[in-house]
Amino acid sequence: MSDGIRVTGLQRSFGGIHALHDATFEAHPGSITALVGPNGAGKTTLMLTLATLLAPDAGEIRVAGFDPVTEAAQVRMRMGWMPDILGSWAALSVRTTLEITARMYHLGRRAAGERADELIDLVALGPHAEQPTRVLSRGQKQRLSLARALVHDPSVLLLDEPASGLDPAARIRLRLLLKKLAFDGKTILISSHVLSELDEVADAAVYLDEGRTATAEAVALAKERLRTWRIRAVNEDRLAATLAASEELAGRISTDNLGTLVAVAGEREAAALLTGLVAEGVEITSFAPAVGDLEHTFLDLSGGGA
Amino acid sequence: MRRYLAGIGTMVGLELRQRVRGVAWYVLLGVFVTLVGAVTLLLWLASGGRDSGGWLYSLIVYFILLLGTLVTPALSGNAINGERDAGTLATTQVTLIRTSQLVLGKFLAAWVSSLGFLVASIPFIVVAVLLGDLSALTIATSAIVLAAELGFVAAIGVSLSGIVTRPLFSVTLTYLVVAALSVGTLIAFGLLGAVTRSQVQLSTIGVSTATYDETTGAASSLVCAPPVMSTYSVQRFDPYWSILAANPYVIIADAAPGSFTANGGPNDLFSTVSLGVRSAQRAPALSVVNNMCEAAANGDVVPSNPPSARELYDSAVPSWFVGLGVQLVLAAGALLWAWSRTRTPARRLAAGSRVA
Repeated sequence: MSDGIRVTGLQRSFGGIHALHDATFEAHPGSITALVGPNGAGKTTLMLTLATLLAPDAGEIRVAGFDPVTEAAQVRMRMGWMPDILGSWAALSVRTTLEITARMYHLGRRAAGERADELIDLVALGPHAEQPTRVLSRGQKQRLSLARALVHDPSVLLLDEPASGLDPAARIRLRLLLKKLAFDGKTILISSHVLSELDEVADAAVYLDEGRTATAEAVALAKERLRTWRIRAVNEDRLAATLAASEELAGRISTDNLGTLVAVAGEREAAALLTGLVAEGVEITSFAPAVGDLEHTFLDLSGGGA
Repeated sequence: MRRYLAGIGTMVGLELRQRVRGVAWYVLLGVFVTLVGAVTLLLWLASGGRDSGGWLYSLIVYFILLLGTLVTPALSGNAINGERDAGTLATTQVTLIRTSQLVLGKFLAAWVSSLGFLVASIPFIVVAVLLGDLSALTIATSAIVLAAELGFVAAIGVSLSGIVTRPLFSVTLTYLVVAALSVGTLIAFGLLGAVTRSQVQLSTIGVSTATYDETTGAASSLVCAPPVMSTYSVQRFDPYWSILAANPYVIIADAAPGSFTANGGPNDLFSTVSLGVRSAQRAPALSVVNNMCEAAANGDVVPSNPPSARELYDSAVPSWFVGLGVQLVLAAGALLWAWSRTRTPARRLAAGSRVA
């Protein structure tokens, strides 16, 4: 019996609207898998079916080895879900919220209290532990929501937009926490619109568009397409002149407020370009992809071009 | 089983802390205590402190029912869809709490909070007992039936909040159910009775000739006249009395044992209401003979002797358990419906609703 998440041919429609056409992917233990797609692609619907809240019309799902439809209780024992909507029991304190959530997983009164304390430390909500959740800021609610998903130490984590509303420091803490959880062998599926953010944590990706997951071949192809690199130099004019002299790069150069952009196919060509520029005596200060891996692949798959 | 009950307990605790036990509830409780206190004082002044415990107690119970049925829909009518709107329902549904625990927990919490009114009125019930003329059986039956009525409203409110998508609509619907039972049954009863009429055949037998003793005035050698036939119409309430059996106020009144004074009049509000409902069970006589001739022969001016209130009450059928039984079935059915609508993984979603 394999752990993690396995989804095959998942379909779900609401009335006449097909939210999921054909979603097929796997997410493995110890890995952080990004779920990438535009608004309305079916990301939340997919998360809800995995979280045992929504029954699929067709297709097969295994979460931690169990079927969310027929073995919902088994899945719930092993799965933590952080919704994209930040609902919290407004009148209850952070600590009480976590204690009650723990009680909902059959933890005893004392064990629930201890677990609440651990989680408050883990997500750094100590100063707010006794405050009613209605006074929490968006970022604090976000951390409370994450703590709630972790109450029963699940082996599979489904995180819907976990970083929205977090300040940079909290974002870094979240990234470290997720990496640690993955290192502990948990399966983490994480969706976000902020692709650069996912780039920093995810080691695998599922691309979802109009209810369909991109096939592995399509992803591999997209990665080989032209990609924009941003180049900065001590003397920008010198850089521009050198680039303009190259016939090969004609029509592939543009500039923005942050530097010069050059479209390059693949990393090998990028390396060759850098070597050439340095050989010409251009003093390069920065030479990096303008967009992250995920964004590049995503834009290419969704036909936006890169 | 223990684990199942513990889950319900967790839900009740959450519900009471999160939704019910707010400032508004305490304000209402304060208003209620003030009102009942004023009524107690006025009644005590009016009765001169004698033998009015029955009236006071029945008034207090009706007060609790009135306020309970006014407040409970607001507390229970958005229990499930309100949480769905706030985004907290799904976070409960992904835990090991089952849908039945969730629905039952919310129902019990709404019920317990409406029973707070009963608890708050205990001092006044003590006053009523001290005023006298109040039987322990009356207290016991009416308190139990009152609790059942409040439970019915709580169950309907929570159920509608699970069946209907929009909280405002489900709260309003719960109020409509309460209004239909409390007031609607009265209106239906009155209107239906008013439009249903029967013809009564009246035959009047008069005296044709008679001689009267000059000193005593007693009639002798009477010759009765042939009967004179006439008709008139009466309103019929007797086919519709069962409508009133669904009324919460009637159920409580009818369940309490009748309390009557020595000359047969009702001795508390329950007996008064129950007497009215039970009197409606009697069909009017559709052929009436007004035999004045015979009356004259007997030297009797008033021919008939109408039954006393107590006799009417005792001769009729009690109906409270029918009403209570129907409400029990309705409440259970509604909770079951709410359960099936709230179950996860959800197969069908109502238009315009979302899971989380």
